[in-house]
Amino acid sequence: MIFKTLVFGVIREAIAKKIFIGFFAISTLIILGFIAFVNFDSVEGIVTMSGDEVRELVLGFESFTLGVSYLLLITLCLIGVSSIIPSMLEKGNIDLLLSKPVSRSQILLGKFVGGLLLIFVSLVYLIGTIWLIVSFKFGYWNASFLSSILMLTFSFAVIYSLVIFIGITTQSSILAILINIFLIFLICPFLASREQVLFTFITGDVGHFIINFLYYILPKPNDLQTITGNIIKGEKVVSWQPVITSALFLITFLSASIFVFKKKDY
Amino acid sequence: MEVISTKNLKKEYQGSRFNKEKITALKNFSFNVQEGDIFGLLGPNGAGKTTLVKVLLGIVYPTEGEVSIFGDSIKNEKYKTRVGYLPENHKFPNYLTGEQVLHYFGMLSGMTKAQVQSRSDEYLKIVDMEKWKKTKIKKYSKGMMQRLGIAQAMINEPDLIFLDEPTDGVDPIGRKEIRDILIGLKEKGKTIFLNSHLLSEIELVCNRVAILNKGELIKEGTIDEITSTGNQHTFSTSDLSDAVINILLSQHFATLHGKNEFLVNTESPEVLNSIIDILRKNNVNILSLTKEKNSLENMFINLIGQQN
Ligand SMILES: Nc1ncnc2c1ncn2[C@@H]1O[C@H](COP(=O)(O)OP(=O)(O)O)[C@@H](O)[C@H]1O
Ligand SMILES: [Mg+2]
Repeated sequence: MIFKTLVFGVIREAIAKKIFIGFFAISTLIILGFIAFVNFDSVEGIVTMSGDEVRELVLGFESFTLGVSYLLLITLCLIGVSSIIPSMLEKGNIDLLLSKPVSRSQILLGKFVGGLLLIFVSLVYLIGTIWLIVSFKFGYWNASFLSSILMLTFSFAVIYSLVIFIGITTQSSILAILINIFLIFLICPFLASREQVLFTFITGDVGHFIINFLYYILPKPNDLQTITGNIIKGEKVVSWQPVITSALFLITFLSASIFVFKKKDY
Repeated sequence: MEVISTKNLKKEYQGSRFNKEKITALKNFSFNVQEGDIFGLLGPNGAGKTTLVKVLLGIVYPTEGEVSIFGDSIKNEKYKTRVGYLPENHKFPNYLTGEQVLHYFGMLSGMTKAQVQSRSDEYLKIVDMEKWKKTKIKKYSKGMMQRLGIAQAMINEPDLIFLDEPTDGVDPIGRKEIRDILIGLKEKGKTIFLNSHLLSEIELVCNRVAILNKGELIKEGTIDEITSTGNQHTFSTSDLSDAVINILLSQHFATLHGKNEFLVNTESPEVLNSIIDILRKNNVNILSLTKEKNSLENMFINLIGQQN
């Protein structure tokens, strides 16, 4: 009961701070842009297409959409939740929260689950609507596109665990945003393409070891995006390793956050 | 029954990044609060009052010592369902209305939605905030916030209520209102722990007081015990003759206040009785004899002064 109150507290805060409205507005803009984009393609052409060709077209649209927006969506979500922990830690607020009959780990998990729920609901709206539009338009219903809602939520959860950790240790939302953007757009893409790019100018076993090591311990939004693409297209996923190591990252940072939170005086 | 008890509490804070020296906020602090007490903790700013309350609520961890509340250790959060707390400078989420604040924090105290809904009106009425319950709290004045804060501290019908500087920043009228609320709570038999740097607050509502300075417990007891250490006696009499005045001044070092009143500084009943004998022998009527209480304020200033 108390846990539920904490989780819905996050949602209410997001509504009050217009984060929900923001997500809704941006999603709606994306959807409208998408509708305009889909309409460029003449409808008449479809009639003459074979089933396979329609399927290809739909999969193409869906993977293209995610290909363009995957990292941007996660960044948007990141910005949306970045203030949850710092605002919880404000003096006069955290004291009262800690005086309630709920453990510190539950408080933090409540904030985590609340943030996930917020993002999940927003993604259901965005991805769900795009799916409906594409499916209606072309008459091919590719349910596996919806799995990208879960994959995006998971990718976000991995990043969110780091946001929580930075929030608990530094109480800064800006720092959490900057570090994560740095990771998502600079470090992680480099590491993901280490074999094609980095290894051409970093040679030697030690260098390779360090880079591989970094690759395995850091989150892998790019690889998760690739896996999502595979799932949408019904292709075989080559390796689930990125999912597993990212999950370990999530668990590590969430546990570390709880550990730090439990020790601190407020 | 002992509601709060601590033994040899010590709290050291980590110093700032630039000054590594540790700050000792509580030293060897042992005390207890009994059921039904309105306990006042008095001390200047920085004395460690807030730190003590935070230790009792598990918000801050003691460096050394033991704490028990309702006779149990505070390792398990369970006891907090029976506790209410008004933090110093509290900050409720400002997008909520007064009523929503009570619902939200009531439910965080473990109450059901139905329970908070049925009780919130009652408590809003006690603190006289009923008409504002649908207003967002960002529009509230400081006094209104404090009254809502007290309602929040009561919403789960706690057995023990902590109020940290409940009248801080509130105007005199608001202060009086808050004092009346506290007196109402006292009548309900709640155990209240009140922090204040204002003596008048404590003197008016508390039955037990502790004085804290620089983390140390200086004195503890009932208001009477703490304030009755004075030994000034005031005599009110019919007109004093010059002869009598001479005797009083020369033998007893009395301080005269006109022809009908004088003060004597003594602890000895024999001295008082011999003065009475002199007065009666000289046909002076004694209208009253009172022992001046050291007001808590004088007491407080004296004690803190001795410390420094
Ligand atoms: N979180 C903290 N970190 C470091 N020092 C603190 C902290 N909180 C309080 N202090 C210090 O501990 C002492 C006691 O503070 P406090 O308990 O707030 O006193 P009071 O409530 O009586 O004004 C002060 O010297 C204060 O500066
Ligand atoms: Mg204080």
